[in-house]
This record gives sequence, structure tokens and C-alpha cells, in this order.
Amino acid sequence: MRKATFTATVIAALTLFATSCGSSTSSTDTVAPETTAAAETTVVVTETTFTIDGAWARTSPMESTVGVVYMNITPSADDALVGASVDMAIAGMTQVHETTTAADGSMGMQEIASIPMTAGTPLELVSGGFHIMLMKLAKPLETGTSIAVTLTFESGATTIVDVPVLTEAP
Amino acid sequence: MKFIRMIGFASAVALATAGCGADQHALVGLVRENPLNVAVVTLPEEFIGAASAPFTMRAKPGELLVVYFGYTMCPDLCPTTLADLRSALKRIGSTSDIVDLAFVTVDPLRDTVDRLAPYLSSYVDRFHVIRTTDMAELKNAEEAFLANSSVTTNALGVIEVTHTALAYIVDDMGTVIDELPFGVGADGFTNDLQILINNTNKGE
Repeated sequence: MRKATFTATVIAALTLFATSCGSSTSSTDTVAPETTAAAETTVVVTETTFTIDGAWARTSPMESTVGVVYMNITPSADDALVGASVDMAIAGMTQVHETTTAADGSMGMQEIASIPMTAGTPLELVSGGFHIMLMKLAKPLETGTSIAVTLTFESGATTIVDVPVLTEAP
Repeated sequence: MKFIRMIGFASAVALATAGCGADQHALVGLVRENPLNVAVVTLPEEFIGAASAPFTMRAKPGELLVVYFGYTMCPDLCPTTLADLRSALKRIGSTSDIVDLAFVTVDPLRDTVDRLAPYLSSYVDRFHVIRTTDMAELKNAEEAFLANSSVTTNALGVIEVTHTALAYIVDDMGTVIDELPFGVGADGFTNDLQILINNTNKGE
């Protein structure tokens, strides 16, 4: 059962990755398989679509070892974003963060374990708000390239988003 | 978050309106009735391969100085602000040559000049790397701007940094003539710098 789940996710992800290349706006569909008690068959009982738009990563300033990814994620069903990751060849550590403002006006960031998402409402990962932080960059993010970011949702669904590296917000 | 940004923007506009002079009505940044003067602040300016020199927080005669307290390991606010500044200078064109930048690192133990100089050169042509490892000296400087910052290590060993994310625009007398809050974007920077450049060139 575990194997079937894994395969379904990977196939969906690969297909989507291939179709979304080279575009700053992509729509990705991912299956979140849930199974019945049957031992040998996997039956998908829910299917959540995640529509991604406006995805971009900021070009790394020279000498920078951190990076950031922004995008809007609209789920077709209630869910929660619980993680993001990239290949270790891109960054050694990836976290979902929120930029926060303290009472004294100073601003900082904190890691967020889960961001609730409402069906049909875009979750905005934007500068000054929620964002995906890349740490320990293996090499600078260069304009014109793209990186594959895997999003993980509370439902167990995953989506790979092809994120273009841009100098400015699209 | 959008909500917070909106509030920041709205209050800045309100303060600017409450501020002064005709042209300054159009500034989106914060203009104080009693502007801060930061010419009392002198911190080390560092150079790659050369000795540091004292830098006083005022623009060169007839110029404008943007002062920002930030750090290079900052993924969101600092790059966004610096990119907004870069966009504004580009949009304004050659008259923006009078705009200089002093970037004060709030994370001096990790930010060396060898990191800071290339980092800043990714955004602007003119900049000063301001760095002191004397945290009391940094704190005093921040107080003149009514700013603050902290560098702490959390239970997981992760270094966490907080900082005031305003961009201060300082004239050649060391007066803070405008304070741009985070969230005004490239449009806000362009608007205010254009007005202030015009005023500076008119000798105001």
C-alpha cells in the first residue's frame, strides 16, 4: 500500500513538473491517495487540486547563502501546508517561515509548522509574510534557472513546483 | 500579513500628511514633525583589504543617504528592500546618482566586509559597508534612529535575527527626512526618492 501511494504521487509529480517547466505560472494537480482497508488495492477517495501561480525565487545576491521562494497556492479542498523541500544539491535546509513584526516594530522570522488552507482561497507566500526559506545554498540561485520545490500538505499530498529564479517579482 | 502591511502603509501616509511642507504631502514614508538627526552617529566603514574609517550618518553635500539596518543571511525583508531601492534608482534614472546607501549590519559576527561588499554590489553601485562588533556602539547608533535589533540563538541552535526594517533617508545635515516602512515597495521608494531628489536639487 505504501508503495502504491508513493508511485501515484511520484507519477503525478513528474508529469506536472514536465508540463510546468519554463513558465512562471503553473497549475499543478496532485493526487492525495487515501486507501480503504483492502489489502491489495488502493482506492483514491479524495483528490485535491493545488493551483499554483506567481511562483518565483529571488536571485541570490552575491555571497548569500540563503534564498527565498514565493507563490500562491490555491487548494480545491481544505488542507494545510506542512512543509517544503528542495534537493540537497540546491540547499541544505528548507523551511516554511513567517515574517513577523514585534510590538516594538522590529521584524523577524519564525519557522511555521503548518499553515491552514481553505478550499478555493489562495494561500499567499509573499515578501513580508509566509515564505519558503532556503538555507545553506549549495550555490547562488541564478536568474534564468529554475528550481523544483516540493510542497507537502497535511493530507499527505505532495506537489512539485517548478520555480523560476527571477531578479524581481513577476 | 497583508493586513499589517496595509496598516503600516496607511499609518505612514497619515503621518506624512500630518507632517509638513507642500511636496512632502506626497511622500508615502513617515515624516516626523520633529525629524531625527543622526549626524551624531559615527560608525566604522569597512573596506575589503583596507583599514576601516569612521563614517558619519549624513549624506555628502547635495546628496541623499539611505540608511538600512540589516544582514546578509536575511532572505526576505533585506533583499526585498534592497531590490525595491534598486528598482527605484533605475526608474528614476541618472538623477538618482545622488542617492548613496549605508548598510549597517546588525549581525556583525557573521557579516564580514568580504560578504557585505559583494552582497550590496548585487543591488547598488554606491554603498558603504558599516560594521561594528561593539554591540553597545551598534545599540547607541540604533537608538539615534529609534531602531533596534537582536541576534539570538534558539533552543535548536538556530541563529535568529530581528531588526527594524525601515529605510531611513538622510540629508546632508544628518536629518532623517523620510522613513520608508517595509511594504511600500518599489513604487513607494520611487515616489519618495523622486520627490526628495527634486527637493535636494532645488536646494530645499
